[in-house]
Amino acid sequence: MSEELSDGIKELESMIGEEYKYGFTTDVEYEDFPKGISEEIVRELSARKEEPEWMTEFRVKAYHAWKEMEEPTWFNATYKSPDFENLLYYSAPKNRPKLDSMDEVDPNIRETYEKLGIPLEEQKMLAGVAVDAVFDSVSIFTSFKEKLAEAGVIFCSMSEAIKEHPELVKKYLASVVPVRDNFYSALNSAVFSDGSFCYIPKNTKCPMELSTYFRINNMESGQFERTLIIAEEGASVSYLEGCTAPMYDENQLHAAVVELVALDNADIKYSTIQNWYSGDENGKGGIYNFVTKRGICKGKNSHISWTQLETGSAVTLKYPSVILQGDNSVGEFYSVAVTTKKQQADTGTKMIHLGKNTKSTIISKGISAGRSNNSYRGEVKISKKATGSKNYSVCDSMLIGQECGAHTFPYISSENASSSVEHEATTSRVGEEQIFYLMQRGISEQDAISMIINGFVKDVLKELPLEFAVEANKLLDVKLEGSVG
Amino acid sequence: MSEVIQKDTMLSYISGSVESDAKSVAIRAINERGIVALENTAFPTKKDEDWRFIDLKSITRNQFVTAEEANAIESGDISEHYLPEALNSRLVFVNGEYNRGLSSVEGLPNHVIVGNLSEHADNPHVKEYLGTITNYDDDVFAPFNDAAFKNGSFIYVPEETVVEAPIHILNVFTNAEKPFYATPRLLYIGEMFSKSTIIEEHIGLADNEYLNVPVTEFKMFTGSNVHHARIQRDSKKASHVSRPIAMLDKNAEYHSYTICLGAKLFRNDPRVIQNAEEVDFTVDGLVLIDGDQIADTHSIMDHRFAHGNSHQLHKVVVNDNAHSIFNGKIFVAKDAQKIDSFQENRNLLISDNGKVNTKPQLEIFADDVLCSHGATIGQLQDEEVFYLQSRGLTEQKSRELLVYAFALESVESMEVESVEKLLLNEVIKYTNRDEK
Repeated sequence: MSEELSDGIKELESMIGEEYKYGFTTDVEYEDFPKGISEEIVRELSARKEEPEWMTEFRVKAYHAWKEMEEPTWFNATYKSPDFENLLYYSAPKNRPKLDSMDEVDPNIRETYEKLGIPLEEQKMLAGVAVDAVFDSVSIFTSFKEKLAEAGVIFCSMSEAIKEHPELVKKYLASVVPVRDNFYSALNSAVFSDGSFCYIPKNTKCPMELSTYFRINNMESGQFERTLIIAEEGASVSYLEGCTAPMYDENQLHAAVVELVALDNADIKYSTIQNWYSGDENGKGGIYNFVTKRGICKGKNSHISWTQLETGSAVTLKYPSVILQGDNSVGEFYSVAVTTKKQQADTGTKMIHLGKNTKSTIISKGISAGRSNNSYRGEVKISKKATGSKNYSVCDSMLIGQECGAHTFPYISSENASSSVEHEATTSRVGEEQIFYLMQRGISEQDAISMIINGFVKDVLKELPLEFAVEANKLLDVKLEGSVG
Repeated sequence: MSEVIQKDTMLSYISGSVESDAKSVAIRAINERGIVALENTAFPTKKDEDWRFIDLKSITRNQFVTAEEANAIESGDISEHYLPEALNSRLVFVNGEYNRGLSSVEGLPNHVIVGNLSEHADNPHVKEYLGTITNYDDDVFAPFNDAAFKNGSFIYVPEETVVEAPIHILNVFTNAEKPFYATPRLLYIGEMFSKSTIIEEHIGLADNEYLNVPVTEFKMFTGSNVHHARIQRDSKKASHVSRPIAMLDKNAEYHSYTICLGAKLFRNDPRVIQNAEEVDFTVDGLVLIDGDQIADTHSIMDHRFAHGNSHQLHKVVVNDNAHSIFNGKIFVAKDAQKIDSFQENRNLLISDNGKVNTKPQLEIFADDVLCSHGATIGQLQDEEVFYLQSRGLTEQKSRELLVYAFALESVESMEVESVEKLLLNEVIKYTNRDEK
């Protein structure tokens, strides 16, 4: 390799190490709540949220289930286990505002959103995106509600749904991710703070892209979001989730649960951009992102698609999955995971084929740089009754620098003679020939590298809704390219 | 502290005790090391990641006796299994016991040693390398072989020596009243720029239950070259758990081909370690199973130094209620740059009750590498079957032909003609089994 080239890569590496740009905190008063977890605390939390009796019991039951479970350790990641007794399980901005217009929102909070580049006020005019903004666990503002109501779409915070649509919540909550599914889903079920609830009625196409921005703002407050999206027969919806977080040294735990239910002919597209604080050069601080995301294609011909761009968090353990129960249903997973510094990501998907002629596609792109470790872990299971099913998986990894690692752990199984599974994976670096070819055409070395990385992740980014694609490109620029691109 | 739960060990499934009576200090030391490890290591269960999918019942429901109690072979009625190319370069083991009468090592170049391990226990190479290449981790089968082996094969090829004739290690297993265990052992030392072909065969002569736990160790010095074919034709009631391992020095080449045809339970954990720069190795496999057979391969291609090529093609055909498991690992250590490693697992699932689990795995810590894997589980294409039918073949015949073609690629890698022929016959027997 030429000296210039290695200089270029060094430069690239230095840009990768760029400091987190969104590290700032906002002073908002918080309601006091005792630290730690116990049955009393769970009951107190439920009481403060003014929840009905059945919800309190759901939480208490989940708490006892969690108590009996052991913290999992099978991940390809090492981290200091969170001190569950020292976490704050509830935090909400004081005097939860019930507002009619944006002007009444706390100016501090508005400023935060502006720094993050979320023009709440402009969103109404702009992309037609309704934003259910979650600020440290409690929804403070929901826009476009009327327009959605016209179409019959319910889009509100989970707390509101528990009070106003108990029949739907009772029917679907924990139906995809059972309370005892895993350690973190049980914990979430006991103490979940808030989240989004979304119900699309029969044969309705949601008139706009739905979106939630998360922001962790309170030191030592674990975030336990709970999201539930239900698409009735023939309904379709696209949901966006994105997040950034301020710079803190104390590790913060985020254990969200997201459940998607698609009935006959329904279509759900769920996109995520995750850019929480990933810790400093030495891996100090940073968010623990332990999320359970799962969708079920319950009905015939239903379709669930997960798209994610994971760039933040010190440790990410996340496996958005699809259970393909309805005949002819389709599951998709598109992912770009970027790790730099000392980040660790163990992410992938599960495609469980139960119905006949079900199809799934997995495209996963991992980029590791610095001293990070990036793992793809996936499971494709074709059961005996899922005849005529097909899966296609690709997971490619790119390594930048000599101290990072890339790993692939795909579990594949098939139990019938009419299904087919194809899996391929590659690990490589940015090819010298590729760089040389582009440079020979007069493109600068830095542009060449940036172009190659963009090409590497293109298959996934093109799946993002347009509103997100711009942000995604920006994020990748900041994360990997800096002024290279 | 909570009480330690008493778990089963390998010894729970062995009748009587395993003790060393070896005269050689070197062998005795390894025996004893194995016994200690066995006593302290729990027998694997489905909770262990590496044993998640495999059903070990055919081992755990038994109490295996030592092979001495089993019937020895009557006479030379195993001659049909001799290879014409290796008539004078053959070692025969009956139920794990060396049989001098049936072995013949007349046709070897000077200074090449092919013989019984216990007779060469004082050879400095045996003393230095025996038992040093295997590793235990939490394994119970390698320690079991260590604990129980009394003799085995020792092959030594001196510097710049090429052994033309293939060396045939023939392990046969006879009928017996009680299920017995055998622990075939092989130590291969290839000096600088030596070359040889090893045919390691395991044949069940009757249809009885036994446990076959072979360990093979290959120490390959600079520039040495080995072609290692392993043919497993154990009885369809037997359990076979093998641990072949090879350690490669600079410029060494090691090509291994494992053919799995027999055994009720087959578990194979081949491991090749790149211990210096610039090596080249192959870890191929062909698995043809039906009935209730289980075949499980957990391979490791361990690149510890820069500049290495490795290749793995693992082909599997599953019929009836058979179950195939594959876990292929490619490790590339930090600073082991310029590794080119390719792994391919192709599964043909031709029955509705069969099952395939596969997990190709990459763990890469160096950036300038090219590592890839592919895994597929599929069936015969309807178009292909139709094409052959349109040429006048019956559907049955068309399918047989396509399965035959699928398996052929692996068989053609065999360097020894008679072995290739033998395997072609086995493939035909497998594909045409329904024909009268």
